[in-house]
Amino acid sequence: MFNTPDHHLGGVTFNGGVIIGSDSRASIGGYYVSSKTINKLIQVHDRIFCCIAGSLADAQAVTKAAKFQISFHSIQMESPPLVKAAASVLRELCYNNKEELQAGFITAGWDRKKGPQVYTVALGGMLLSQPFTIGGSGSTYIYGYADAKYKPDMSKEECLQFATNALALAMGRDNVSGGVAHLVVITEEGVEHVVIPGDKLPKFHDE
Amino acid sequence: MSYDRAITVFSPDGHLFQVDYAQEAVKKGSTAVGVRGKNVVVLGVEKKSVAKLQDDRTVRKICSLDNHVFMAFAGLTADARIIVNRARVECQSHRLTVEDPATVEYITRYISSIKQRYTQSNGRRPFGISSLIVGFDFDGTPHLYQTDPSGTYHAWKANAIGRSAKTVREFLEKNYKEEDMESDTDTIKLAIRALLEVVQSGGKNIELAIMKRDESMKILVQEEIEEYVTAIETEKEKAEKQKKKT
Repeated sequence: MFNTPDHHLGGVTFNGGVIIGSDSRASIGGYYVSSKTINKLIQVHDRIFCCIAGSLADAQAVTKAAKFQISFHSIQMESPPLVKAAASVLRELCYNNKEELQAGFITAGWDRKKGPQVYTVALGGMLLSQPFTIGGSGSTYIYGYADAKYKPDMSKEECLQFATNALALAMGRDNVSGGVAHLVVITEEGVEHVVIPGDKLPKFHDE
Repeated sequence: MSYDRAITVFSPDGHLFQVDYAQEAVKKGSTAVGVRGKNVVVLGVEKKSVAKLQDDRTVRKICSLDNHVFMAFAGLTADARIIVNRARVECQSHRLTVEDPATVEYITRYISSIKQRYTQSNGRRPFGISSLIVGFDFDGTPHLYQTDPSGTYHAWKANAIGRSAKTVREFLEKNYKEEDMESDTDTIKLAIRALLEVVQSGGKNIELAIMKRDESMKILVQEEIEEYVTAIETEKEKAEKQKKKT
């Protein structure tokens, strides 16, 4: 049995930026909560964050190696890295080591070329660009909500509300998701962390 | 018997001639000067004049090694590229293994070790560069180090390498004042004044990079350099007038 942050996470673009969010529970086998306050949003560069899913050990090792490569690339090119480049680095690591690894990522960030972007890197190493994406075990409970409520070009506040609601709904139904909601808002100007404790999350029917 | 062909052979009087010759190559390179202030570190280089059709943005003699360390070199540009690359990889490797940015001394020591290794290997020649490495450690202390082809390194408050390094160093020794280092502007001005001693046609041929504590390296644009140069010239004129009066 190993620590798995099976849970819920997601990335959403809005007008001028992107929000990446996740819960904070890590469990062993879905029975024992090994951490209530784990951070699944890893910063791989100034304006690029990465949400980890799957085996915690594998995900940490991959993001650390990716951080190394992305920083080196950025210093060599003398400019901030593209979000796509960061996602590609993760994809290369996942694809080339697919036999040993069990980790997936959602990469979200802002760069000067394409602005706010969200990329999914799946378990075997597939790379996909989407305006928004959800993942993790908790995501199955909110596909309907996400599909219905997402609209392109939202404002920052609308997007924050959308992401918070989505996390709250998933954490409410999925037993391996929980804890606090971590949200990171990335724009050209900077990076803002929002942490919402479990009792301050929006409440829905039956809570 | 000639003792200067093979790097791995000492001469009877204790010289490694290849290393000495490498230092000669450094003396042919364009001048670089470094000044360590209290809150800012400065590196300035003499920009070699470029051919008419050459894009002068591609001749970059000041390279950043990590977010908090950067360096300038004098000597063989191609050799420098290799050292800079290795140092950049090592900076990231350090971050990966110990989860902390490398100190300026660590990366200087790493670069010096590479250079020394090449003075003791068969079939290779020493690197023909001296470098000035500046930056801030994560505890906020500023540093300036100089390395040379033999693989030795020393910390300095201010130093120069390359062509006319002796002249510039003498200028720095005469004009370096500890109190001035408290002010960012005075630190930058000292570096520019030192370079102006040896550079032809003033500000146009100077490239300057500064780093303030907790900020990333900034390469000054031509206009900013001109501003400093004008301020320096005004101060110089005032000082001359004072001298004439007394």
